[in-house]
Amino acid sequence: MPVTLILRKKEYTVEGTITVKDALKKLGLSPESHLVVRDGQLLTENDALRNGEVVKLVAVISGG
Amino acid sequence: MGNYICSKCRGPAVFRMRHHRLAFCQPHYLEWFIDQTARVIEKYHMFAPTDRILVAVSGGKDSLALWDVLWRLGYSVDGLYINLGISSEDDDYSNESQDYAEDFANQNGLKLHVVDIPQQYGESIPQFAARSQRGRIKPCGVCGLIKRHVMNRVARDEGYDVLTTAHNLDDEAAVLMGNAMTWQVDLLQRQYPVLPAEDGFTRKVKPFCRFYERETAAYSLLRGIEYEEDECPFSIGSKQLAYKDLLNKMEENTPGIKMNFYASFLNARSAGYFIPHNQADNEQSRELNKCPICGQPTASEDACAFCRLVKAG
Repeated sequence: MPVTLILRKKEYTVEGTITVKDALKKLGLSPESHLVVRDGQLLTENDALRNGEVVKLVAVISGG
Repeated sequence: MGNYICSKCRGPAVFRMRHHRLAFCQPHYLEWFIDQTARVIEKYHMFAPTDRILVAVSGGKDSLALWDVLWRLGYSVDGLYINLGISSEDDDYSNESQDYAEDFANQNGLKLHVVDIPQQYGESIPQFAARSQRGRIKPCGVCGLIKRHVMNRVARDEGYDVLTTAHNLDDEAAVLMGNAMTWQVDLLQRQYPVLPAEDGFTRKVKPFCRFYERETAAYSLLRGIEYEEDECPFSIGSKQLAYKDLLNKMEENTPGIKMNFYASFLNARSAGYFIPHNQADNEQSRELNKCPICGQPTASEDACAFCRLVKAG
């Protein structure tokens, strides 16, 4: 079972084990505009995501 | 590649800022963020410890973080939430955002003013926009007009010394990019972290103008502030978001480029590079009158744009 990343109710999956930085890159998401949270804890770009884990992506850019 | 360590205590870091070459653990990031805000307030002489401050809150990460930080710094600071009456089929955006603002106020024993636009003026922002020239393509122009009017009215009526908004560096850099793309020198000249009080306008300040947007988001997450994560449905496809995306693409390759873009602009502005050559004419053309309906300042010789919009309904 891959890593599941949830961004505003939409689910993405990537194969683990993978770093946060590489997971965002695979999904085409900028690390400048997304934070990754696991069990309420903020992750840095070098933290590892393992298969079976579910993490939350927080889009930090807003505006209109 | 190893994990990052806190620049202060050498423990495991939870947040890293490449452009500052800093990483922090949770307690030291929260501490750094508050210290940096205090430094910006001091650097730009934004307000005094005795000033009464009104913070405009949207229920989002930036404004609730600003309210939290100013309160922790010991300022007398109340909130203002403006319910715009925006909702979509699957998202009650304005009411949900109000809930977040009210929850924050209640949890911390803070005072929140609420102005409900549909209740007070009979129409929501999308309804106002639908029948106005200014809002015929997107309601954002009408929304800005109404919010500016209401913020200034509440600040003046309730006797606040300063109105604060939580514009961050990404907001400022995106506006700067938009104005620079068309060399709107008059707008460039007015873009600054402090707009002094004048002619019926309350002093406006932006204490978060030096923070990247991901830094304010990290503060809210690490502080445990619950906020509205959904976007205003009308912001999708906006120019401001497009500029932010472009700037972030550059930031990925060149850490600090956003900060340099904005900070260099402020330096150039302070050095007088953005003064229109017909400055004297502009000063004259900016003379303001008093709106005969609401009493707020306006460039119009008749009612202000807000009152004309409301009256036309």
